[in-house]
Amino acid sequence: MKSKQNREPLNWAKYFSPVFIILITLLFTSILIFATGDHPLTAYKFMIVGAFGNSAALISTINKAVPISLAGFAVALSSKAGIFNIGIEGQLIFGAIGSTIAGLFIVGLPAYIHLPVCLVTGMLFGALYALLPAALYVKKGVNLLVIHIMMNSIAGLLLTYVVMGPLMGDNKYVSATNIVQDTAKLPYLITTPNKMTIGVLISIFVACILWFYIHKTVSGYMLRACGDNSIAARFSGIKVKYYQTGALLASGALAGLAGSVEVLGTFQRLYDNFSPGYGFDGIPIAMLASGNPFGILMGAFLFGALRVGSINMQAKAGISSEIVSVIQGVLITLIASQYIIRFASSRIFNRRKKEAQE
Amino acid sequence: MDIAVQMSGITMKFPGITANDNVDFEVRRGEVHALVGENGAGKTTLMNILYGLYIPVAGQIKIGGKEQRFQSAIDAIRAGIGMVHQHFMLIPSLSIADNIVLGEEPRQGIVYRRDHAAEKINELCAEYDMKLDPKALVAQVSLGTQQRVEIMKALYRQAEIIILDEPTSVLTPQEIDELGAMLRKLKSMGKTIIIITHKLKEVIDFSDRVTVLRHGKIVSTVKTGETSADEVTNMMVGRSVQLGGHKTDITLGKAVLCVNNVSYHDGRIEKLKDISLTVYAGEILGIAGIDNSGQKELTEIIAGIRKLDQGEITLDGKSIKSVSVSDIKEKGVGFIPQDRQESGLALGMSVKENLMMGYQRKPLYRYKKIFLSKAGMTKEAQEKIENFDIRPDSPDVLARTLSGGNQQKVVVAREISNASRLIVADQPSRGIDIGAIELIHQKLVDARNSGMAVLLISLELDEVMLLSDRIAVIHDGRLMDILDAKEATREQIGLLMAGAKTKGGGGCEKQTK
Repeated sequence: MKSKQNREPLNWAKYFSPVFIILITLLFTSILIFATGDHPLTAYKFMIVGAFGNSAALISTINKAVPISLAGFAVALSSKAGIFNIGIEGQLIFGAIGSTIAGLFIVGLPAYIHLPVCLVTGMLFGALYALLPAALYVKKGVNLLVIHIMMNSIAGLLLTYVVMGPLMGDNKYVSATNIVQDTAKLPYLITTPNKMTIGVLISIFVACILWFYIHKTVSGYMLRACGDNSIAARFSGIKVKYYQTGALLASGALAGLAGSVEVLGTFQRLYDNFSPGYGFDGIPIAMLASGNPFGILMGAFLFGALRVGSINMQAKAGISSEIVSVIQGVLITLIASQYIIRFASSRIFNRRKKEAQE
Repeated sequence: MDIAVQMSGITMKFPGITANDNVDFEVRRGEVHALVGENGAGKTTLMNILYGLYIPVAGQIKIGGKEQRFQSAIDAIRAGIGMVHQHFMLIPSLSIADNIVLGEEPRQGIVYRRDHAAEKINELCAEYDMKLDPKALVAQVSLGTQQRVEIMKALYRQAEIIILDEPTSVLTPQEIDELGAMLRKLKSMGKTIIIITHKLKEVIDFSDRVTVLRHGKIVSTVKTGETSADEVTNMMVGRSVQLGGHKTDITLGKAVLCVNNVSYHDGRIEKLKDISLTVYAGEILGIAGIDNSGQKELTEIIAGIRKLDQGEITLDGKSIKSVSVSDIKEKGVGFIPQDRQESGLALGMSVKENLMMGYQRKPLYRYKKIFLSKAGMTKEAQEKIENFDIRPDSPDVLARTLSGGNQQKVVVAREISNASRLIVADQPSRGIDIGAIELIHQKLVDARNSGMAVLLISLELDEVMLLSDRIAVIHDGRLMDILDAKEATREQIGLLMAGAKTKGGGGCEKQTK
């Protein structure tokens, strides 16, 4: 009984701290908008209208949320194993390249085979791109952060080369490949008032699988043990390196899937700079949700709304959409200091509880 | 009588706990005063307040009758207080003289007069009848000598009151005797000494009075001559204590673990040198030795976590030297590692999940082979929680929220209940309350009574002597001798711990010859 009483306020704090973080971020952004001479409420109004104002807007938001959520799952999976994968962006681009190649050059297959082949190719490319950092980390103990950041730059430049060179499309004025074959396109769920592909179903499906894997399987249990205390896991005979390599490769595969879904669904062709940094968006979201896949879905929806809504805000209210970068920056800073916030909010709840008892 | 230290109404709070609760503590000039209590009773906190490291929430400190408000340790040192911490604050690469004068060097202009420092230290040594070579490097002298250096550091700063935090924990029995003689000498010179310890037995001979702390409160202050170690232990815990478990007579079985001529080095340091020993079914083999003599490496090699350089290890006659950790577990070896938080538990996971860690292969924990069986996990966890009295009794709380003793019980429960042949326990009672120690002792003895082999490592000689059937003594990675626990004396073991004599070990081949 006693332990339950002690636990409750802590749990409250745990669920509240993401809300806390978002509120503080909004407050800070409001001050900034106010300082630039605009009214924050106007800005938020246009942002909300732009993101959720009508069903077309809502669909755009969901479309943006799909690749972000997949990137978030990728981050969550590796961080559950105790590895911080910051190379999602590179793996995502590589996955997109892979599925574009499969979508362009494999011919004669029916859609129900061709599409999965393209998606799997994308995942393989993503995993492959994570293989070199993983091998260097496990075998040589190379700093993953540094190598991942470099791999991200390489992937970005490689993408430019691919769409300007070997895979250049017939229209020489656009840095893009040709449109993939019809059998490789993600089918639409809705086409009016706005197009929405089955990407959203893929994302929800992956969330369920991921949650189930992490919490309900023996292998997921071992993965969490590696992430929580790799020394204790090693002392228990769990093959920590094996799990960490596996998690990094699977994380790369999920990032590759994010790239594939974006390319085969939204654009149906590979553009240069097609990703506005979805891979980086995944990081704060996964952390905000402490790796919970359903929390990531919500976070991705929020980030998608920010991206879509800010365009409307810029068009209608003339407030720079760069404010989204500020919001993300503040979020990341706050997440990095979330231990302080958790502590403070648990103190507040404890005090309230005490006052209530007295 | 002349009062050297008077602390009254001291209260100190940390988030969530009250470490000292309205404590009145008094030390007379020229006495050796032992401050005893269990881990977490608040004795170190109280002394840190006296030394100016913490500022109390409430209370008053008088030194020699004069009220003091220390803002930092510097104020306390000025008031004539010196403290020797449990973990020495010395710089190994500097000489003894340099360490002693550090911060208060004798100088001429900007030049450090090393010769003056050495002279001064020689004078002090002569005065207090201590043996120290000012030119020797700290890295090259024993822990006992390092402790003398720390005491000399306090004397050099003209301390009148010297606080020693757990001074016996790093010493062999002989060194403890030497420490006693040194403290008596300091006392005769009019110094006041406060010893913080949870092992009263070791200081009962040379302390005048004892103050017992429990849960941050003073229980009582008594004259050492009018009490006994057992009585004080009962005061510390608040009830009578039965350590060591109940051993039953059991005939020794065959050899379970054989360690033959094992050598190991970590980096450039030789950790184990040609170690041989055998543990039989139905016995507890205790390994005595001062800290860092290679015990940790030996246990981790047996558990398969480290791979040995030379030699052979067998379990039930079969080599396990290149067998994986999980296969060794499967052969019935339980391993209680030295540091539960570092290598025994995943603190962010639930008690239930920690209780199965390393044994997740077992069908009991699985549902259709790849899924976790929640029912199996919960049932098993509840059984262990009940058997080992783990509190709170919920399988779903995070391991992080448990107290040290209960965290240790989780590790012990997991390893003992899954082991069938051998238990390797590295300091199973380190830093936990007496209630938990009692239980863990009983469980280790139960395992022995049921015919398992137990290899016990402890830095506390009392624990080794209490539990073991045979005692192996290790010094600097070398096995000194193996003694029968019934016949061995503290002095004998102490000499071996200090490296007095060498003799081979007791590997399997040697014993069958």
